Amino acid sequence: MIRKLLSLIILFTGYLSCYAQNKEVLYDFQEIPQAIMVNPGINTIYNWYAGIPFISGIYAQGATSGLTVNDIFAADGLDINQKIRDRALNALSERDEVNGIFQVDILNGGFRSQKNPANFFSFGMYVEGYALNYWPKDLAILAYEGNADRLGQRFDLNDLNTSGQFINVLHFGINRQIKNNLTLGARIKLYSGIIDIRSTNNSGYFETTLGQNNLLRNTLVSDMKLRTSGLDALIDANDNGSSVTSLFTKRGFFGGDPGLGFDLGVTYNLNDQTVITGSLLDIGLLYHSSDVTNYTLKGGTSVEGVEVILPDALNDPNADFWEDLVDEIEELVPFEEDSKNYVSFRPIKFYSSIRYNFGKQGTPIAADCECDNNAESGDRSLYYLNSVGGQLYAISRPRGPQFALTAFYQRRFAKVLALKATYTVDKFTASNVGLGMSLQAGPVNFYIMGDNLFSYGNVADSNYASFQLGLNIISWERN
Amino acid sequence: MKYIPISVLAILFCTGIFSSCAEKQDFDQLDNFDIIPTAEASILYVETPEYIINQLNGVNFYSQIFNFDAFSEEFVADNVLDGVITYEVENTTSKPLDITFEFLDEAGNVLDSENFMVNAAPTAILTREIAYGPAGRSLDIIRNTSAIRVSATNLGDNISVSSLPSPAIFLRSSAKFRIRLK
Repeated sequence: MIRKLLSLIILFTGYLSCYAQNKEVLYDFQEIPQAIMVNPGINTIYNWYAGIPFISGIYAQGATSGLTVNDIFAADGLDINQKIRDRALNALSERDEVNGIFQVDILNGGFRSQKNPANFFSFGMYVEGYALNYWPKDLAILAYEGNADRLGQRFDLNDLNTSGQFINVLHFGINRQIKNNLTLGARIKLYSGIIDIRSTNNSGYFETTLGQNNLLRNTLVSDMKLRTSGLDALIDANDNGSSVTSLFTKRGFFGGDPGLGFDLGVTYNLNDQTVITGSLLDIGLLYHSSDVTNYTLKGGTSVEGVEVILPDALNDPNADFWEDLVDEIEELVPFEEDSKNYVSFRPIKFYSSIRYNFGKQGTPIAADCECDNNAESGDRSLYYLNSVGGQLYAISRPRGPQFALTAFYQRRFAKVLALKATYTVDKFTASNVGLGMSLQAGPVNFYIMGDNLFSYGNVADSNYASFQLGLNIISWERN
Repeated sequence: MKYIPISVLAILFCTGIFSSCAEKQDFDQLDNFDIIPTAEASILYVETPEYIINQLNGVNFYSQIFNFDAFSEEFVADNVLDGVITYEVENTTSKPLDITFEFLDEAGNVLDSENFMVNAAPTAILTREIAYGPAGRSLDIIRNTSAIRVSATNLGDNISVSSLPSPAIFLRSSAKFRIRLK
């Protein structure tokens, strides 16, 4: 089992992770309180809500571009080595990636100000973990096939680009209806980094050429670094049999790496039926200052084996040319370790949307919600049975921003049920159909949503999958 | 929603979301997954100008043992599958020479040797490839090599000088090995 696990790691290192992190079904889904987490400036239609601890928001997502589990592990009788050669080594580029993320709400709640009902406050805490790994194309070729018979081919060390993070986030937000047609929101986030691993912005190459003296010359020019925080403590806890849970708890509750971030959001009603929204999430950073270990490989050298050129080589009859060569390489390209603190930036997410509501009915769908009952209120979407629109999503990534474009249709059924269907195009798939449902049973709100549903027929062959669900108590009554 | 109760719709929705399946995957294929790169690098380069050969007394003008632990490194020794060592000898001196490479273990025992008789210049570059592994010599030679001894014998005189520019004897070598990482 361990061997298989190691093999999987070897196979998918640099290729397994997830981080598209697009919550296109949840975005602007007003009936679900957690929608405020992806747009702090959303129109809030309830008086207060309280998420059921640990189950108010559970989210997981995985994405791969270019390769699926089924591509390699399908029981198709083909040789796995040939499949890896054809479908990974010869097919993937250094821009292909695998990513994964999960989020679990520990606490989540919100309430409307009694003094000023235009203000709605939200707060909570969640844990998040992600891993992102670009396919290290050149390094994979070097590891799988070697450097033989590849004269002049440079293996780019920049292909190694991987990161992973596990954090706890405490957040507090304010949402304010500024005008009848304008709502703004902002949220402050206090991060507590538990584990951080990243090797990005590497540069250099390894190359084999014809030698000047000897037959071959191997050249290594490297500026590589691996930064870790919290990893050593985790390994020690695992080795010593001490509690990993207590370590996570300690580091997660501000015993780890501190960080600060902000979310911003806006909703603007162009007219009674047309609404535009936008948000910027996770504008922030973490300062990694506890349990930091960094590894670097920096320098450059060219080697043509042990070189003995007479008469100079006769000067020292006891010379150990091999050891001298090894020492010289280690001096020119030292592998070093330090514990310098470092800063990591959170991946900024951007959402925007335009929504057109139609199919008006006489009373708002959330019948007990009187927030839309007067002409002075903002978004009047809940008067309408249907909404249709488009969303644009972007996320900052180490190799440039990634985008996703979504078309959606939302339908409200009486007072209790709202459904949203999405179609999304991004780098992972062009056939991503998602569905979301919000079910209101009295004060209890249950929501569930899934992504890329057409791939559910064979999840192993999917490039993208996510789901989210949660349970809340909502009070629709105005003060 | 006149005809489908909302509760039924919700149940159908949840069932749809939670209903997924996957074709059978065979993760045991990993047992057959091989990572066997072929690594290639130079081993040893020796250059001896002709005037040095003329200065050194005796017929066997040069013999030196070079510590060389690359092959016997545990990682290489344990995982090497097969390979080829390539030698190249270039003689631009006025003398015929007898060159011998010997692979020695830690105790100094000769594990393998390769001899080259090269004529005086002008002569072609002599190249030889020696295979190790199932189709060649024993891999144990590679696994146990700890040093390389190079010996050169002057089969000519100690006076003449080649008319070629910077006359010398050049010994070049490289190794190409398949190594199993998994």
